[in-house]
Amino acid sequence: MPIQHVDLSRLSLQDALDLATLVEEEAHERYLELADQMDQHRTPEAARFFRFMAENEAKHGARLAERRRALFGDAPRAVRRTMIFDVEAPDYDEARAFMTARAALDIALRCEQKAHAFFVEALRHVGELQVRALFTELRDEEVHHQDLVRREIERLPADADTGGDAFVDEPAAQ
Amino acid sequence: MTTALHPAGQTMEPREFKSDLKPIWCPGCGDFGVLQALYRALSGVGRPPHEIAFVSGIGCSSRIPGYTTAYGFNSLHGRALPIAQGIKIANPELLVLVAGGDGDGFSIGGGHLPHAVRRNLDLTYVVMDNQIYGLTKGQLSPTSHRGLQTVTSGYGSLEEPVNPLLYTLAYGAGFVAQGTPADMPGLTSVIEEAIRFPGFAFVNVQSPCVTFGEAEWQLKAHKEHMKPLAGLGHDPADRLKAMALAAQYGEELYTGVFYRNPKPAPTYDALVAQRQAELRDRALPRERILELFRKDGGR
Amino acid sequence: MRTDLVFGMAGSGGDGIVSAGESLIAAAAAEGYHAIMTKSFGSQIRGGESSCRVRVATTEVLNPGGILDVAVALNWDDFMKFGAELTVGGSTLVLYDARTGVRPDALPLVGVRPRQVLAVPIADLSREHAGSERAKNSVILGLIAGFSGVAREGLLDGLRRKLAKKGDEVLRSAERAFAAGEAWAASHPLTEPMPLAKPAGGTAPRPLADGNEICAAAALFAGCRFFGGYPITPSTEIMQFLSREIWKYDGAVLQAEDEIAGIGAAVGASFAGVKAMTATSGPGMSLKSELTGLATIAELPLVIVNVQRGGPSTGMPTKPEQADLYQAAFSAHGDAVRPVLAPTSVTDTFWTTVQAFNVAERYQTPVILLSDQEIAQRKETLDVIDTGAIAIEERRRPAEAELQDYARFALTASGISPISHPGMRGGNYLASGIEHNERGAPTASGAVHARMNDKRAHKLDPLKRRRDLFRVFGDESAPLALLGWGSCAGMCREALAHARDLGLRAKLLVPYLLYPVAEEVYEDFFASVRAGLVVEQSHQGQLYRMLRMFLDLPRGVRSLARSGANPFMPFEVAEQLQRAAEALQRDGEDAREPQE
Repeated sequence: MPIQHVDLSRLSLQDALDLATLVEEEAHERYLELADQMDQHRTPEAARFFRFMAENEAKHGARLAERRRALFGDAPRAVRRTMIFDVEAPDYDEARAFMTARAALDIALRCEQKAHAFFVEALRHVGELQVRALFTELRDEEVHHQDLVRREIERLPADADTGGDAFVDEPAAQ
Repeated sequence: MTTALHPAGQTMEPREFKSDLKPIWCPGCGDFGVLQALYRALSGVGRPPHEIAFVSGIGCSSRIPGYTTAYGFNSLHGRALPIAQGIKIANPELLVLVAGGDGDGFSIGGGHLPHAVRRNLDLTYVVMDNQIYGLTKGQLSPTSHRGLQTVTSGYGSLEEPVNPLLYTLAYGAGFVAQGTPADMPGLTSVIEEAIRFPGFAFVNVQSPCVTFGEAEWQLKAHKEHMKPLAGLGHDPADRLKAMALAAQYGEELYTGVFYRNPKPAPTYDALVAQRQAELRDRALPRERILELFRKDGGR
Repeated sequence: MRTDLVFGMAGSGGDGIVSAGESLIAAAAAEGYHAIMTKSFGSQIRGGESSCRVRVATTEVLNPGGILDVAVALNWDDFMKFGAELTVGGSTLVLYDARTGVRPDALPLVGVRPRQVLAVPIADLSREHAGSERAKNSVILGLIAGFSGVAREGLLDGLRRKLAKKGDEVLRSAERAFAAGEAWAASHPLTEPMPLAKPAGGTAPRPLADGNEICAAAALFAGCRFFGGYPITPSTEIMQFLSREIWKYDGAVLQAEDEIAGIGAAVGASFAGVKAMTATSGPGMSLKSELTGLATIAELPLVIVNVQRGGPSTGMPTKPEQADLYQAAFSAHGDAVRPVLAPTSVTDTFWTTVQAFNVAERYQTPVILLSDQEIAQRKETLDVIDTGAIAIEERRRPAEAELQDYARFALTASGISPISHPGMRGGNYLASGIEHNERGAPTASGAVHARMNDKRAHKLDPLKRRRDLFRVFGDESAPLALLGWGSCAGMCREALAHARDLGLRAKLLVPYLLYPVAEEVYEDFFASVRAGLVVEQSHQGQLYRMLRMFLDLPRGVRSLARSGANPFMPFEVAEQLQRAAEALQRDGEDAREPQE
């Protein structure tokens, strides 16, 4: 599992909400990073899409954080970023300069699938009832997200595959 | 609060080590993973950025210090190790990191490596090994395999590659490990361990170059073929066994700790401090330094 | 009474010639004389030909001297190998070992008739009084004491101190050999006696040191706490001295794996906030040039000592030359401007080294200190150095307010931006060899690059107005001039005295700052000058050419330059100046025409 130092069987609701928030934060930051990379490498369509995903993840994270605040106020977080490893965030090695919009969408799809798989696996270990409920909810949301991404992929114009790096300049030595 | 978590006792967040400079690396570059692992490892170690000196040479991977909030020194091709050692001797309180590529470290910098290892200052050397020269556009590197076709070896390289793992072990390094961004938890872990190790610690990272490296398969190959040493039952206190495994560099991608000296030798910086403590009382006040040249041989 | 005697001795390594010279200068110093000693060897590790020259005077000595007053040859083959250093002339007393079998009227000195030649049974006296020929050098010291009266007590004291450890018998045999030499001198009075007067400044002992040791001591005084280097003749003694002393000051010496690592470590130490130094000779400077450029663009203080030796390439490791000036000023690719300073004597190596550190710290730049083999390895009695009067400078570190939003390379009015170091909270920055903006972020912008080049060059402008880094001797309005730097300066000061004796109105400029070229200082100096000589030991006359890059020199100012290992003699230089003066007179009105 892409987490460490976490005992799922004894995870509390507060920590579960924090964990889920961190997963969204991690994904949000990663999508932003990839968007920056796409901008730097003049790949605007992928950049645009990654920023869109970053926004989505931010919204999901905000909603979870809101729920956490309503239930537990400002109690300090025990969960840390270093406990999760790209649960929902795309791997760095998936991005490429001049990647097509379709490729970017494929990444997002895989990420939603990855997140879904995480919650499925996590549910096998989770003890607390309320945490089970939360993870079930989040698992199902990921399915929903996948559908959204698939629909975007279908909506892509026919030539969304062409181009790529076919007409790009050779790299310059430095 | 929950008892479900086992925090590693850290006090800092990875993002405190992230600078505003946007990396120039190609999307997909393995170095992004190394950078991320570094942020995490440093947050685990808990030293604040202003107490860290991060030295690199020249190359794509040598840009890495600028992407952290530490004091950085992006110096000269092959010369990061001497500069880093000067920093550490001058201020042994600092956490000193060194980074660079395989060309920087084993070609032009190769002459400095044995001495940095045997000097055993307490610092950490991370090499991003992609078997190619990326920044200058695709020439072969000292870790390229024989037969590799590149822009300077169109008919295939005629040389056997150096073996970074075997060299550092043979030179006497007290900590040698290898990682890959294909396994982020493992990479983060060996980097953090290397930083914590008291003495010269070396981490070789198989960090693929997506633009000039061998085909895309290299990246997938890492994920499929990497063999964690822990899973093989390897005892990192066994230096000879470590060397036997290291000898398979190029054929097998072993990840994790090859060797960790169970009884680390005293570090150079500790020995310097000891000497200074022993001799401090004999210092002439600086205004009287010329008394060292008294004719009655006062020296 | 004589006030100045120059002794030159040569033999093979096993004869202890250099040891004799060291005893002589030590004794002279102990009795309050001023003295300079130089040595010269063959290339064998031991036992090859060796020679030394010791000049002892009752007042200040400025250089190792010209024609020998006393030449001592234990054998002629070895003596002749040192023709350029051991110059025999019509005023020389030649003492040589009768064992050589050469007749006094058949010496191998071509075209020279020494004042007096004495075949002395040196080896025989040693065997007879000390039981072996090992004590030849003690016989020689006895002869010298006998003929000149120089430091007799000091010599005997010195023998006792040196040989005490070797046991009573050895000491006594040396004393007997010494006495035998004295006795022989007494029974063979000279046609022209040469007793040396007592020192003018009293008989209190003077400290003795060589240029390398003084450089190292000055570095410690200035606050240097890190040295990185590699052994190379003739600079190694700097590292050796510091390796004995620097730990006591919580510093460290690293004998690195090579020249590059040596300066690399020093650059690192400076980045860490510590005053740092490296030292080498020509070949090492070539290797260090890339890192010198790095220190320049990263604006890191650093002192780089080049003890110049014969070049190019491996050249002549044991001979002095002044042919690394171009390299000091211009090596390291790019528009990398860095200060170059040069001491002129062992004594002023102290002050000049401290200035090098101060300049490095204030301007945040590498500074090259150009010494040479002669100054570095000659032993000299030190003049009084008032350490209390020499100020030490530290680099400008950022104040609290400047650490809010700190920009390491901020474009200030002076060009000097406060420099932080690791450990300083808020001062985090990226140092690099790559061109950078004010914050240290890499850039390839032409505009930023131009501004940064401006910053790095113009921050050094105040240096060009540092008149304390120049010395002028003689009549300030004189029409004749000498210009000498480094080890030529002392010789030029003597030449100036000779020139005055010849009735010439001359002055001398000695620059301690060689680069950047202080145009105004030179223009002021040359304003009254109609003819002159820039005297230096390089085949190309590097300072002369460099000055012409930046200034219009008066038409009558010429280069007097020679390859190293061909030392100038003061009288020779004075004669050249006289010829220049005569040419001026011949040209009459023309020489006084305004320059175009």
